[in-house]
Amino acid sequence: MALLRVSPSPHIKHEDSTRVIMADVLIALVPALVWSIYVFGFRALTVTVVSMAACVFLEAGFQYLMKKPVTVLDLSAAVTGVLLAFCLPVTIPLWMVLIGDFFAIIVVKQLFGGIGKNIVNPAISARIFLFVSYPSEMSAFTAPFSYVSPLSIVVDGSEIEAVASATPLSQLKNGIIPDEPVWELFVGNKAGCIGEISALLLLVGGIYLLVRRVISWQIPAAYILTVAAVTYFFPGSSQPIDFMLAELASGCLALGAFFMATDYVTSPATPNGRLIYGAGCGLLTVFIRYFGGYPEGVSFAILTMNLLVWYLDRYTKPVRFGGEPKKK
Amino acid sequence: MALTFKGGIHPPENKNTENCPITVPTDPIYVRIPMSQHIGLPCIPTVKIGQTVAKGELIGENKNGLSAPVHASISGKVTKIESAVNANGRRDEYVVIENDFNHTVFETEGMKAERISEISTDEIIDAVYRAGIVGMGGATFPTHAKIRSAMGKADKLIVNCAECEPYLTANYRLLIEHSKEVIFGAKILMKAIGIKKGFIAIEDNKPNAIELLKKELKDDNLLSLKVLKTKYPQGDERQLIYALEKRELPAGKLPADLGYVVFNAETCSAVYHALSYGTPVTDRVVTVDGDCVENPGNLLVPIGTPFMDLINYCGGYSRTPDRLISGGPMMGAAQWDEYAPVIKGTAGVLALSRDTIHREIPNCIHCGKCVAACPMHLMPCYFAAYSKIGDYESCDTFGIRSCVECGSCTFVCLGNVPIIQHIRIAKGNLQQKK
Repeated sequence: MALLRVSPSPHIKHEDSTRVIMADVLIALVPALVWSIYVFGFRALTVTVVSMAACVFLEAGFQYLMKKPVTVLDLSAAVTGVLLAFCLPVTIPLWMVLIGDFFAIIVVKQLFGGIGKNIVNPAISARIFLFVSYPSEMSAFTAPFSYVSPLSIVVDGSEIEAVASATPLSQLKNGIIPDEPVWELFVGNKAGCIGEISALLLLVGGIYLLVRRVISWQIPAAYILTVAAVTYFFPGSSQPIDFMLAELASGCLALGAFFMATDYVTSPATPNGRLIYGAGCGLLTVFIRYFGGYPEGVSFAILTMNLLVWYLDRYTKPVRFGGEPKKK
Repeated sequence: MALTFKGGIHPPENKNTENCPITVPTDPIYVRIPMSQHIGLPCIPTVKIGQTVAKGELIGENKNGLSAPVHASISGKVTKIESAVNANGRRDEYVVIENDFNHTVFETEGMKAERISEISTDEIIDAVYRAGIVGMGGATFPTHAKIRSAMGKADKLIVNCAECEPYLTANYRLLIEHSKEVIFGAKILMKAIGIKKGFIAIEDNKPNAIELLKKELKDDNLLSLKVLKTKYPQGDERQLIYALEKRELPAGKLPADLGYVVFNAETCSAVYHALSYGTPVTDRVVTVDGDCVENPGNLLVPIGTPFMDLINYCGGYSRTPDRLISGGPMMGAAQWDEYAPVIKGTAGVLALSRDTIHREIPNCIHCGKCVAACPMHLMPCYFAAYSKIGDYESCDTFGIRSCVECGSCTFVCLGNVPIIQHIRIAKGNLQQKK
């Protein structure tokens, strides 16, 4: 006689789980990483691997110490680690990476209750935390193809061949359209953070996620179209089309729109909520680029919209089948 | 454009038994017939211990309210009338009949086919009641009461052949092998309610049945065939009406309020048998399948046959099952007793292994997959979150009362949250407060 399990229906389950989704996100990030190694050398890989390993280790360690079930196998900590590394410059000291990882995993994620409970995106908040704490290291960009030693914990100042001119985004901020052709900016032959130089390859990863139905189209579409519309109709220079294309070709917009803003935990669950959220991210990004103190607005825009997710969910609740019941 | 609805899921169909003809296994040694196989009052046994009964003889009835009589499904001796707990946790009375293998059949009289065209509504309702017919898709609402409630309101009849649950093919086989009975039964029901327009609704994953019905209904001016996109839960009345007519049934309303009445294919066949031969519901088609069954198949078995007999007839377990399900894998109930009896609403018996479900540490990641999957357009993730912390009032604000417990949200959940369990807890608490 078989011992039967009495469990509630349904008795079958789709094979997708958090782990499958997170693995897809990691796969989608590989092309941009490979390009980054090509442009910046193997230190890009070092920073990424260190960040990923540290996040996983911190999450597992914290959960072990707190006697909670260890959930690092869902790969969400690994994704956070890679995403954080992607928005750091390649010359960042490794100990700073660890501080960022600690802030992302322990402060933002675990102290709020772990996966699903954090109210803001861990990678984005850690980036902002590092940006505010170490502004000079966070904006020390090297010129493309000026390799630094891959295993140094702190990159020696003499090794850095700093970019003569500012990054395309800081040029745009001053109303200057970069000299490089837009196509080159889009492919990623430029100075910038590890994973943010190639908008093209991030777009490839984003399309992979869309095809695999990991993310839905609403957030990236609303985000990018809003940025395109605002920068075209209210350009910062006299050539609206060139200005718009240069704004769109920034890799941090692609990373933000496809990978950061679409983080499930900190984005709305309803289709309409996602549209509003994406448009809000777009507007804030452009506002910060135009009027803020920083050349880049993606991180702050997403962080701000993260805080509104609950209200967006609540006020874009789908109309239930058969109509809402009449209020008594 | 294919007829369908918004939301829903497409689980692996696993219609492994679609080419398995309905077979009649050897009679069981005994049957255990529950007195409550329907929505409404349980029947009161009308037989005594030691009494000999023939197949089709009345053994339980309750005339005090909504109920459907129960009949002996084999000939033999009543050996026990016992009270036991069923799979839903409710106490129920069972009549146990030991088979004498004499195969005596209780004499009943049918009506000639010609008579049916002039038969009165009351006569049909009476015949349906006496045959103990209930909704055989699993809802088990007494059919005579449904006819009565639809009279004067419904002007369209829908024969539900969606069979959207994975694994189940009992309805499909019935259509392939006895399509005329289903069509005739549907027409009797239309006559009873006074309906001039009917649909047979079927999912597009059953091309053979569609082909066959197309031929059968070619010159039919009462019934027409409607092909639906294969999606779960297409068989739900609300989604069915929406797919066919693009009308949403408001919460708390019955299909008849919008002018529809929906019957399952096997119910129609039972109506045909009740009218043509006067035979009550004593047998039904059950799909026996699952990854732990040696030779899955479709069996026509007497009501009250233990599940284990069905499994044994299908070659026994191929490996130790984890769960034994009565019904489909999406909404069926897990049994704790391998000898639980087949009842009028049992469309399938599935022996499933641990492989069909992945259970990890539940963690909602707010992915919104449940919101997209909900056929009632609700936000199941919030039900789970609020129910978990005991805030049932907020569940109510988010519309938990509209939930039909189809399980789509739980099927797609990336975080392995037992959403439906949380929903049931919240619903139970809300009901108690009222």
